[in-house]
Amino acid sequence: MAAPSRSAVIDGRRQRSERTRQHIIEAYLALLRESPRVPTAARIAERAGYSVRSLFERFPDLLALSLAAADFAFTQANAQAVIRNVSADRPTRIRTQVETRAGTCERWLPLWRALHANQHYSPELRQRLRFMRDAVMRRLELMYRPELSALVEAERRRILIALEALTDFESWARMRSDHGLTSEDACAVWIRTIDSLLPATPAVS
Amino acid sequence: MGLPAKSARIDGRRQRSERTRQTIVEAYLALLRESPRIPTAGQIAERAGYSIRSIFERFPDLHALRVAATDHAFAIGNTLATPRDVDGDRPTRLRSQVETRAHTCERWLPLWRALNANQGESIELKMRIRLGREMIMKRLELMYQPELSSLSEVDRKRTLITLEALTDFESWGRMRELYGLSFEQACALWIRVIDRLLPPTPTPRH
Repeated sequence: MAAPSRSAVIDGRRQRSERTRQHIIEAYLALLRESPRVPTAARIAERAGYSVRSLFERFPDLLALSLAAADFAFTQANAQAVIRNVSADRPTRIRTQVETRAGTCERWLPLWRALHANQHYSPELRQRLRFMRDAVMRRLELMYRPELSALVEAERRRILIALEALTDFESWARMRSDHGLTSEDACAVWIRTIDSLLPATPAVS
Repeated sequence: MGLPAKSARIDGRRQRSERTRQTIVEAYLALLRESPRIPTAGQIAERAGYSIRSIFERFPDLHALRVAATDHAFAIGNTLATPRDVDGDRPTRLRSQVETRAHTCERWLPLWRALNANQGESIELKMRIRLGREMIMKRLELMYQPELSSLSEVDRKRTLITLEALTDFESWGRMRELYGLSFEQACALWIRVIDRLLPPTPTPRH
């Protein structure tokens, strides 16, 4: 059997390295879900099944790892939060937007908290948080376009800022942890609130 | 002139030590207001004008200093945020509650962020954060008592949860830092939204 070509060897090595990198990111995310403490390099390496040296061969520091985790999470969250029912009636759109947002909050809250706590140490991290908030705003604008389009610019902006505050990660966390609401009850609170904040849906001409 | 009595000397020492403790707490809070990064013991000592050793003579660790700073902030915050216009008409109560809350957020947001970032598994800090939130809820209940009293228990709870989320420290922080609203614009936004979320004010019975 002929020896594999040089480029095939390099490709294989690159793939293995990429897999290791991915395992490290997933170990970091799994540890964040288990405990609110930001995990140490040793714990992440142990969970991923690699050495600390392997970790730092792929990420120059833990901040770089949290950035890579943020990028991974953003891609995943976008794939999970598929846009649905954009042209449906008002109750369907509100329910869809709320349930999608709730799913994102439920899944990504631990990472969000870790990113939030470290943002002051990295402009890149701040930029990513801003990007994530912009994505939330864009989704709100898309889902409630019929209602928002009836408002003047200043009022539209006010409603969007209020909706973003109300459907924030920490607002979700408090409903679930401090107030002990089930996921369904918490969604019901958001649905009612959004419904009372949005203006009347214009009649279709 | 005779020598001061032993008890007077001890009292003087205790007062000086209390002043030093207070200066250290204030230095910590001042540093938090200037930068969102958690200050180190060296920075706090330098700002307070004492040695690092002085800090650790008064606080066993930085965690104890954070707890003391939180208690200090609660005491001041409570004094400054006295309930006003509780019996005012709806617009007056709305403005009064929003402006009081806005001033609290404006003043204590850096400490609130530090508390949340450092709470980790600290029971003391978690308890204080919880207490802070309970106080906000109680104030909302007090200020909007006429409107809330017309709701069922479940709806009252839902409305309170929503109002608390809306008037959270970070919600204020985003309006000011991210969306660039002035203090007055941010207050106006809260007033409009709360007005929309509250049920109609019941007519008083004579």
